[in-house]
Amino acid sequence: MLRVFKEALLGFSRAKTMSLFAVVATGFSLFTLGLFVLVLLNMNTLIRRLEDKVEVMVYLKDNADMASVGMAIEDLGRLEGVDQVRYLSKDEALERFRADLGPDSDLLQDLETNPVPASLSITMKPGFRDTLHVRQVATAAGDLSFVEEVDYGREWIRRIDIFKHLVGVLGAGTGAVLSLVAIILISSAIKIAIFSRSKEIFIMKIVGATNGYIRRSFLIEGFLKGALGGSAAAAMIYGVSEAFAKHYVQITRFPEDYYLLTVLAGILMGLVGSWISLGRHLRRV
Amino acid sequence: MIFFKDVSVGYPRRGTVLEGINLHIGKGEFVFLTGPSGSGKSTLLKLLYHELRPSSGEVIIANFSSRRVKKRKVPYLRRKLGIVFQDFGLLENRTAAENVGYALEVTGVPRSEIRTRVPRILNTLGLSNKARSYPQQLSGGEQQRVAIARALASEPFVLIADEPTGNLDPEISQEIMRILLEINTLGTAIIVATHDYSLLKGREKYRRLHLSDGMLVYDGPVEGFRMPDNSTGAQAAGEIT
Ligand SMILES: Nc1ncnc2c1ncn2[C@@H]1O[C@H](COP(=O)(O)OP(=O)(O)O)[C@@H](O)[C@H]1O
Ligand SMILES: [Mg+2]
Repeated sequence: MLRVFKEALLGFSRAKTMSLFAVVATGFSLFTLGLFVLVLLNMNTLIRRLEDKVEVMVYLKDNADMASVGMAIEDLGRLEGVDQVRYLSKDEALERFRADLGPDSDLLQDLETNPVPASLSITMKPGFRDTLHVRQVATAAGDLSFVEEVDYGREWIRRIDIFKHLVGVLGAGTGAVLSLVAIILISSAIKIAIFSRSKEIFIMKIVGATNGYIRRSFLIEGFLKGALGGSAAAAMIYGVSEAFAKHYVQITRFPEDYYLLTVLAGILMGLVGSWISLGRHLRRV
Repeated sequence: MIFFKDVSVGYPRRGTVLEGINLHIGKGEFVFLTGPSGSGKSTLLKLLYHELRPSSGEVIIANFSSRRVKKRKVPYLRRKLGIVFQDFGLLENRTAAENVGYALEVTGVPRSEIRTRVPRILNTLGLSNKARSYPQQLSGGEQQRVAIARALASEPFVLIADEPTGNLDPEISQEIMRILLEINTLGTAIIVATHDYSLLKGREKYRRLHLSDGMLVYDGPVEGFRMPDNSTGAQAAGEIT
């Protein structure tokens, strides 16, 4: 086994151009795919951050009856996609308003009466923070008799909707193009391998190598090439991910598990590639 | 040792190439297989190393019968055969010694044994000083000698050579023939397919098989060669002297 391994390493260093092409094809495909995933992950993080701000504010009339408000809280809580309904008394609402203003809150210091109405803050579950669901909740709240006004950042949500849609479409398109490029690269590496191996396989057969031996030695070679391509891709992704992390603190890094996954994907590509390029030669006696 | 019993074979979309071949080759024999291009020499050799199976009849070589041998046993037959081609079939990225050693590696011979066997074989073929040369650095004749060395590495009982001199100058061709005859004197049977009849000159005592259009039309000593009366074509090409 050790010998077969050594032999594969030798064969590998010898058929340099072809091997290099296979490694580069694997590495490049996985690198671009990894970058793509990295960008997508960050887009998702960005979207989630934007969505976290989605909130339906329901301002209550001053004379609102607490019993009906309590019932409304339960009713609203049962609407599709609603996560939490919180009641903010006039004082709490003022506190929050001050917090939102930050340093400027001094302006509110000397007020004699509290101008901020009591309100309900409704947050949505992830996946329901879009125009459709938010508007349903806003409409339901607006219909209540003791509600003065409902505000849910209509424009803000609409922009998030468009952004999500755009990321989805561009992501799918880019993913499709990248996959196609990867398939073309890998399959041409396989074609080159079939061609350049035919003489070697012929010689191996003539001197009495078993199909098992031939398959084993080429699979080991494929394994090594794939591992090399995958590792190179992982290293480059790491470089890019870290470089960005240095400049933009808020970046979502490439998850650790995915590095392992990249190397494994490379190995799988190498093995499958070798298997395919051998199939044609080994079928005959 | 080698038997052909009423063997016929063809290729898909080509039809029959060899028909009704009967022959026996004994241990340690030297045999010329002649016939014009396309007469089926290479096909007959392919039957020997089980690259092809007969469509009817039976080919027996050592204890391998074309009727019974399993596909995965074929490599073990080939380890007992040495095969040499017109185009040498050397790996360009390996030295002469590595090419010879390769045949042994592939069949699982221990490395220590390879290290002692390869120099000995190279020496036998007068290639000791070329052990570290790559095929591109060798002449055609030297490359063919490396190929012969590789074929002999596994100590085969028969050496099969398909047009071994087809790419070589006449003098070098004669040299290769002398090497093959010498190997034969050490006990290895040899079958040489060729359409270069000048190689037979001066070797009248050896056995000759002549193919014409896929039929075995002559089986006897070189010196007694004549085309059967009813055969057509290729007569002129078959004549020597
Ligand atoms: N792989 C193949 N497929 C189809 N026809 C073939 C193949 N190999 C050889 N032939 C045909 O079989 C005939 C005999 O070929 P071959 O045995 O190579 O002759 P020779 O070696 O005497 O020149 C020729 O007509 C050739 O065209
Ligand atoms: Mg031929």
